[in-house]
Amino acid sequence: MIASAHSADEKVYEISELSNEVKELRSAFVDGRSKLMRLKMESTIVKKVEEKGLEISTTPPKKIKVKARD
Amino acid sequence: MAQKRTIKRFEIPANRGNVYSADGSLLATSIPKYDVAIDAVTSSDKNFKKYIKPLCDSLAAFTGKSSGSFEQKINKARQTKDQYLLLARNLSYTDYMRFRNFPLLKLGAIRGGFVYDQKTKREHPMGGIAERSIGYERIDENGYATRVGIDGAFGKDYLRGETGSRLKQKIGKGEWKPIRDVNEVEPKDGYDIYTTIDVNIQDIAHHSLLGQLEKYEADHGCVVVMDVKSGEIKAISNLGRNKIGKYYERLNYAVGESHEPGSTFKVMAMMAALEDKVIDTSTIVDTKNGRKYFYGRTISDSHHGGYGKISAAKALEVSSNIGLATIIDENYSSNPEKFLKQLRDWHLDQTLGVSIIGEGKPVIPKPGDKIWSKNALPSMAYGYNMQLTPLQTLAFYNAIANNGQLIKPRFLKAVKEFDRDIEVFEKEVLVNKLCKDETLSQIKDILKNVVSRGTGKKLYSETFSMAGKTGTARTDYADIEAWKEDPKYVSSFAGYFPAENPKYSCIVVIHKPSTKVGFYGADVSGPVFKRIAQKIYTDTPLIDQIQTGDYNNELIANDFEKFNSISNKYKTIMPNLIGMPAMDAVAFLENMEVDVNIKLNGNGVITSQSVSKNIKLKPNQTVVLEAS
Repeated sequence: MIASAHSADEKVYEISELSNEVKELRSAFVDGRSKLMRLKMESTIVKKVEEKGLEISTTPPKKIKVKARD
Repeated sequence: MAQKRTIKRFEIPANRGNVYSADGSLLATSIPKYDVAIDAVTSSDKNFKKYIKPLCDSLAAFTGKSSGSFEQKINKARQTKDQYLLLARNLSYTDYMRFRNFPLLKLGAIRGGFVYDQKTKREHPMGGIAERSIGYERIDENGYATRVGIDGAFGKDYLRGETGSRLKQKIGKGEWKPIRDVNEVEPKDGYDIYTTIDVNIQDIAHHSLLGQLEKYEADHGCVVVMDVKSGEIKAISNLGRNKIGKYYERLNYAVGESHEPGSTFKVMAMMAALEDKVIDTSTIVDTKNGRKYFYGRTISDSHHGGYGKISAAKALEVSSNIGLATIIDENYSSNPEKFLKQLRDWHLDQTLGVSIIGEGKPVIPKPGDKIWSKNALPSMAYGYNMQLTPLQTLAFYNAIANNGQLIKPRFLKAVKEFDRDIEVFEKEVLVNKLCKDETLSQIKDILKNVVSRGTGKKLYSETFSMAGKTGTARTDYADIEAWKEDPKYVSSFAGYFPAENPKYSCIVVIHKPSTKVGFYGADVSGPVFKRIAQKIYTDTPLIDQIQTGDYNNELIANDFEKFNSISNKYKTIMPNLIGMPAMDAVAFLENMEVDVNIKLNGNGVITSQSVSKNIKLKPNQTVVLEAS
C-alpha cells in the first residue's frame, strides 16, 4: 500500500518533468518554425539573392512534356 | 479544514487548436511564455552580496542594458522590501531556462527569490503578415471578449476546446497528486483550423501593398485575392499607417470598411443597363466637354475637355462619370425601382455573411431614404452616395469572372482533429446567375479593354492578360473648401486574371495617397494588382507537350555506325581521328580502356593528332589534338 502510494508519487514527479520537457520542445519547435517561415518567404529570398545579382524571372518556367509515340 | 488545505480542484486548460494555411504552414499556435521577476527580500545578505554583481552582468548580457542600472534597481527593491520586481516579460521557454540558471536566481524561490509566472500566448509564426485576418481571441478579466479575424471567429466553436478539472491531493515538493486515476472532467483540446490562405500569394500581396503604401504615403489600404471557382480567399492584407509612418495590420479594412466605391461601381451600373437592354454597348452618350449639369449640380470628368459623344462601352473604358450618370439617369429616373431591384437581385444591398466578425454593411439608398434625392441615381451610377466594402465589390467582380455565379468569399477549408475531418467547408452560392451570357461577355470585353486601352492601360502587359476596372473616388469631401485645399482620394483596382478563363479575382483599395505623389487608381492600386497577377503567372509553368519523333535520319545513322565500329576496334591503340568532329574525338578517347590526358586546341574538326594511329597508348600519356 505504502509502496504503491510512493510509486504513484514518483509518477507524478515524472509526469511533471515530462510535461515540462514537452513545453520546452514545443516552444523550441515554434521558434524554429517561425524562423523557417520567415526565411522561406519569397520576399526574404529575393532580398538575399539580390546582392548576387539574381532577380525574379519575368517569364514563367517552361515545362516540356515528351509523350512517347504509341 | 485540513482537507481543504490538502485537497484542491484543479482546472486543466484545454490546448487551443492551431490555425494553418492551405498548404499546412502554421499561422497561429499557442505556446507557453514566462514572466520572470525577483523577490529582492528573501535571499540572505551573504548570498545577495555574493551574487548581485554576476546576476546583473547576466541580465545586462541578456537585455543589452547596462549592468549598473539593474544593480541600482535591485538594490532599491531590497531596501524598499519589494518582493516582486519584474525582470523580463514574455520569455520563451528557452530564455526562461536561461534566467533560471542566472546567479542568485539559480538558488530557487526561497533562497534566490526566483519568481515566475507562466501563461499561454498565441503566436503568429508569419509575424505581421495577415495578422489581422488570422486574428486572435482575447478575454479580459470582466469576461468581455475581443474577437479578431479567423482565430476570433472560430474560437468558441472550434479552437477553444473545453476545460477539464481534477481533484488533487498535496504531496511533497509543491506537487499535487490526483486522487482518482481519471480526471473528474476530461479536458477536450480545441480543433485545428485549416484556412484557405496561400502563404506565397499572401507574402507577395502583403509586400506589394506595403511597397505602394510607402511610396504614396497613404493612410491605409487592403488587398484581397480570391479563387474564382471556389471563392477561397488566397490572400488578404490590411495595412494602416501609425503615427511614425510605419504600416502594420491595423484593422480588417477589406471586411469591415464600407466606403463609397467610386468608379469600380460603374461596372455594376453598366451591367444593369445592359441586362435591362435599355442601352447597348454601342449606344452613343454625350459626355459634353467634361462638365454637365444634373438637377442643379455639376458632374465632371477627370479628362480635361471631356470626351464628347462616345459609345457606352467607351464611356466605361475611359471611366466617364458623365457617361455613366447620363446612361443611368436617362433610363431609370422615371423608375428608379427598376435599377434598385437589379442591385438587390445581385445581393449588393446585403452583407455577404462572411465568417470574420464585423463585416461592414452595404448602403444602397432607395426613394424615401434620408440620402435619397433626384441626384441619388446619377451619383450611384459612378459609385457615390452609396457604400460597399472591398470584399463585397470583389465578390461581384469574382462573379463576372465565374460566369455570373456569385459565391461567398470563404476563409476556411476544414476543421480537423489531427487528421480527422470534423467539418469541411464547401463553396456557397449566393446567386446562381447574375445576368444573361450576352451581358456577361459584353462586360468582360469592356473590362479587358480597360487594361488594353482604357484607364488601366499603364498596367497592360504583353506576356500575361488581366481584366479589371480602376477607381479614383473622392473621400472626406463633406467640407468642400477644406477638400479643395487638401484633396483626398480612395484609389482602387478590382478585376481578375487571366482575362480568358480567369483563375483569380483581386481587389486593391488604397485610402488617401499623398496627392503630391499621385492618386489615380491605375497608378496607386493597379501596380499591386499587376504584381500579384504577374507573380502567379510566372509561377505557373507553361506546358509544352511534344511527341517523340522518328529519328530515322540516314546521315545520323551512318555517323553513329562509324563511331561504333571504331570504338569497338580500338581499345588501347590510337585510332585515326583526323576528320572527326572534336566533340566525338574527345568522347572517343575518354571511353578507351586506357586513361590518357587529352589536350584539345580548337573546337571544329580534328586536323592533327600528336600520337599517330596504330600506336599503343600508355596510361597517363598526353595526346594533343589540333582542331580547326
